[in-house]
Amino acid sequence: MALNPTPGLPPFEYIKPASLAEASAFLAEHAGEARPFMGGTDTFVRMRDKAWHDKFVVDVKNLEGMRNITFDPQNGLTIGAAVNMNQVAASPFAQEHYPLLVEAARSVASYQLRSRATIVGNICNASPAGDTLGASILLGGVLHVYGVDGERDEPLSEFFHGPGKTNLKPGDIATAVHFPLPPADAVGRYIKLNRNNDGDLAIVGVTVLGYPDSATASGFRFKIALASVAPVPLIATAAEDILANSPITDDTITAAAQAAMDASTPISDTRGSAEYRKLMVRNLVKRAVSDVWGKLQG
Amino acid sequence: MVMAQTEKIPDLIGKSVPRIDVREKVTGAAIYADDIQFGKKLLYARVKRSPYPHALIKSIDTSKAEALPGVKAVVTGKDFPNRIGLYLKDKHIFALNRVRFVGEPVVGVAAVSEEIAEQALELIDVEYEVLEAVTDAVYGATPEAPIIHPKLGEYEVPNFIFPQPGTNISNHFKIRKGDTEAAFKECAAVVEKTIRVPHVQHVPIEPHVAIAQMDETGKVTLWASSQSPFAQRNLIAKTLGISQSDMRVIAPYVGGGFGCKAGVTMEAIPVAIATKVPGYPVKFRLTREEEFYTNFVRQGLTIKLKVGCDADGNLLAMENTMYWDGGASTEYGVNITRAGGYSSTGPYDIPNVKTDSLCVYTNHPIGGAYRGFGMSELHAGIGQVMDELANEIGMDKVEFHLKNVVQGGDTLATGMKMHPTGLSKCIEKVADAIEWGKKSPPSAPNKRRGKGIALMWKAPAMPPNPGSSAWVEFAEDGTVVVGVGGQEIGQGAFTVAAQMAAAALGVPMDWVRIAGPLDTQYSPYEWQTVASRLTWSMGNAVKRAAEDARQQILDMVAEAWDENVDDLDIVEGKVVSYKSERDISLKNIVIYGIPKENDQGWIGGPIIGRGKFMPTYVTGLDKETGQGQRAVVHYTTGAQALEVEVDLETGKIDVINAVSAFDMGRAINPDLVHMQMEGGFVQGLSSAIFEEMMLKDGYMQNPSFVDYRIATTTDIPKKMTTIIVEEPQDDGPWGARGVGEHPMVPTIAALANAVYDAVGVRLDGPPYSAERVYMAMLKAGVVK
Repeated sequence: MALNPTPGLPPFEYIKPASLAEASAFLAEHAGEARPFMGGTDTFVRMRDKAWHDKFVVDVKNLEGMRNITFDPQNGLTIGAAVNMNQVAASPFAQEHYPLLVEAARSVASYQLRSRATIVGNICNASPAGDTLGASILLGGVLHVYGVDGERDEPLSEFFHGPGKTNLKPGDIATAVHFPLPPADAVGRYIKLNRNNDGDLAIVGVTVLGYPDSATASGFRFKIALASVAPVPLIATAAEDILANSPITDDTITAAAQAAMDASTPISDTRGSAEYRKLMVRNLVKRAVSDVWGKLQG
Repeated sequence: MVMAQTEKIPDLIGKSVPRIDVREKVTGAAIYADDIQFGKKLLYARVKRSPYPHALIKSIDTSKAEALPGVKAVVTGKDFPNRIGLYLKDKHIFALNRVRFVGEPVVGVAAVSEEIAEQALELIDVEYEVLEAVTDAVYGATPEAPIIHPKLGEYEVPNFIFPQPGTNISNHFKIRKGDTEAAFKECAAVVEKTIRVPHVQHVPIEPHVAIAQMDETGKVTLWASSQSPFAQRNLIAKTLGISQSDMRVIAPYVGGGFGCKAGVTMEAIPVAIATKVPGYPVKFRLTREEEFYTNFVRQGLTIKLKVGCDADGNLLAMENTMYWDGGASTEYGVNITRAGGYSSTGPYDIPNVKTDSLCVYTNHPIGGAYRGFGMSELHAGIGQVMDELANEIGMDKVEFHLKNVVQGGDTLATGMKMHPTGLSKCIEKVADAIEWGKKSPPSAPNKRRGKGIALMWKAPAMPPNPGSSAWVEFAEDGTVVVGVGGQEIGQGAFTVAAQMAAAALGVPMDWVRIAGPLDTQYSPYEWQTVASRLTWSMGNAVKRAAEDARQQILDMVAEAWDENVDDLDIVEGKVVSYKSERDISLKNIVIYGIPKENDQGWIGGPIIGRGKFMPTYVTGLDKETGQGQRAVVHYTTGAQALEVEVDLETGKIDVINAVSAFDMGRAINPDLVHMQMEGGFVQGLSSAIFEEMMLKDGYMQNPSFVDYRIATTTDIPKKMTTIIVEEPQDDGPWGARGVGEHPMVPTIAALANAVYDAVGVRLDGPPYSAERVYMAMLKAGVVK
């Protein structure tokens, strides 16, 4: 938190390339001093706080395909990088097939900010508190990236390395995120613990996706992602295993919640202490899994 | 004194007329200080601030900044050596020799753009010798603490403030009434408790902004978002050696004040700089971060309470020691300490009282006025110890309060006689509305519900003699222009002033305009828009001005009609005679007068009414005992009851129902009163659950809305009930007292008491954040 930010934004040059190729080349050429620009909800704040010192802001949100949101009944949902969170939340396809993503998107900041903020921006920003990251990972999201060497796909399960650190390289532009069809009869839940009810960051975020799975001993598969309790969105694999291997009872859920708590490594900051965060992981994983389990049982 | 009770109440008084400023504000047409255009000569000011909480300034090198093209002025503390302050003159416009808090202004720059001014700041070198900082008021009051103001003994101070030179204590207010030590021995139950209330910030939507210009003859104009144009004229002019008549303050609408735009804070900076660049307007705007840590804050408080009662629940004694974290300057804060002192019992009748209210210098941001002026902090403690004491003695809390609250005729801790008050009625009404004593089931198995009640009182805190004045003029069409010096800061002051003028004159509401924006060159004097004093004090002035105008009109018509004034009245904008049944519209006659019959000349002339009000009866209090005839003008009282639901899994609190009842003597405009009660409660809730300036070693850790959370519309309880109680004030206009600040005062204690009822834990102070509540429940074994 800067005590002395500038009254306005520091000076920068606004670049509006005509094509992805042009944008990518420019970004690669100005590595370290140029940044692709979507809604700006993080970029402008960081620049004003003097945390980012980019000379060039490269506006890629109007390039071809960036504003498309499409659904294919065979392959799933593709959300262009410039599609804002309110548009995702309002999409009938997202609502019908990916309600977990909608629930997560609706918890981000405030309505006003969600008309600028994007899911792809949330992903690329790679904040451990990112509300839509858990849902994006658990739903098998894959980021489409245009880079200097052409197009490639980045599975989100292996995309994050630390706060602000991802697989993206200079010259890369994320163009869309794609979600395959979710498993049959899947139920999701995102619980965001925040200080007040609107416009806040997560003290802890718990994403759970559960679905019937004949390959597990319990007959169900639960996937659990945790926000704000580790340098990256944390997948609580030990907790997932407990819920796969034992019949789902209150005790199993309690054990899974404890395992999730044990796996989390939060820091203390102005939003919450590490101790409280760990306890909240336990309590909210229990609540989220119980909610999902209740719905799975119909 | 006028006995308000016997006066006829006009129809417009007690009527919820719509706000007169609502259309321009809702449409965005209203003009605020930052909207005013100043043309191409406008310069922008920025300030280089202290990076240390406490340090000596060894040297300042501004040469590189002065050489930067576009820079027009660079000023330091040496340019303006006089001290400034509302009560205790202990502050410099720019730090001189020593800095005392992080963010204190050290060097001011004016340049042709804000960017160049910022660049200039980077080119200024200041060398400091860092000193030990005082970041705790209790420690600051000890002899071990480093002295922050070695020259305290030389500062100019009014006779009701008691600094202790050679210490960090800039005011020590005492009450010694009865014998507490002996009385505690008689008590069947005693509760001792220490509560800490953190610093909070006002966070108006509109940050501070001020523009100043000096003309070639040395006359200065200041345009500012201001609650106090007259106080600013007086204090800034005196400090800079300008005649008050050569200093003009123009104050357009204010986008939120809550006390932080009272007195003088950053407004002196552009004025000081403007004196170095005659002819140039100089604009200074604070960033939100500066708004957080460089401006007046609500002081932190550590309050140590001991209170006891007999076996029947009658309060016998209270000892109250308050350490106010005054910050780097206590120019305004010394009087918060005094207010905390003379009101230190809360609204309770206690025969034996010992109070020590200490204003302590620290190296924290400067304390100033904040809605409630110390009362929210004080009552956070009082409201909880009374709740605990009722528990201890095993008495129902409502019954305990009713037994012990102040009544008209009681002798207060200062020796003042209490006037009639509707506090008991407020308690009964909130208890009834919240269904006191009835437990409602929680909404889920992992939740617990509880109810809490807390009371409050507050007197306008001010010098003994703050004045108000008003004038009333007319246009040809009979419409009325009312001149006031009190500010519209969202509370509805202009609407109520217009309503009072219309009622006192006998004209329709839509005939009345308020002369704005406030301008010290034309507006009548008003001390400050603070202390919930406008409806009462300015209201009296407006009412008298309107009555004066009315009398002039009636005299004129009586002469023209050859009738007795007593037979005449003004009704709906017409003078009527109950005797002859004649009538005449105010149109034209209020400017041109009335022609005599047969063209034999004229009677009357332009009507201009004037009115003033100043309390003349407030006396001093003894320095050692706090005793005196009349400590304050009056007390507004009230009660609040809350029902909360606590989430055992997270510690999060939901307020299910909030009930407020306050006695404002007479609700001039009931809708506006209800809005004050709702808004005040929400602000109280915000400070009870969310707000805290996280100060670490003198540095604020959360100077932005990202991490300084305030209640939003989504945090407001679905059910809020507000109740008006009217026990008229003897010297209020139609019996009115203020109610602007009061509704947030009892909220911290009401919430704390409700949480205690729900889950059996208390914190050592607000905020009742989810984390702090959860960890307390964990510690107490309520959750695992």
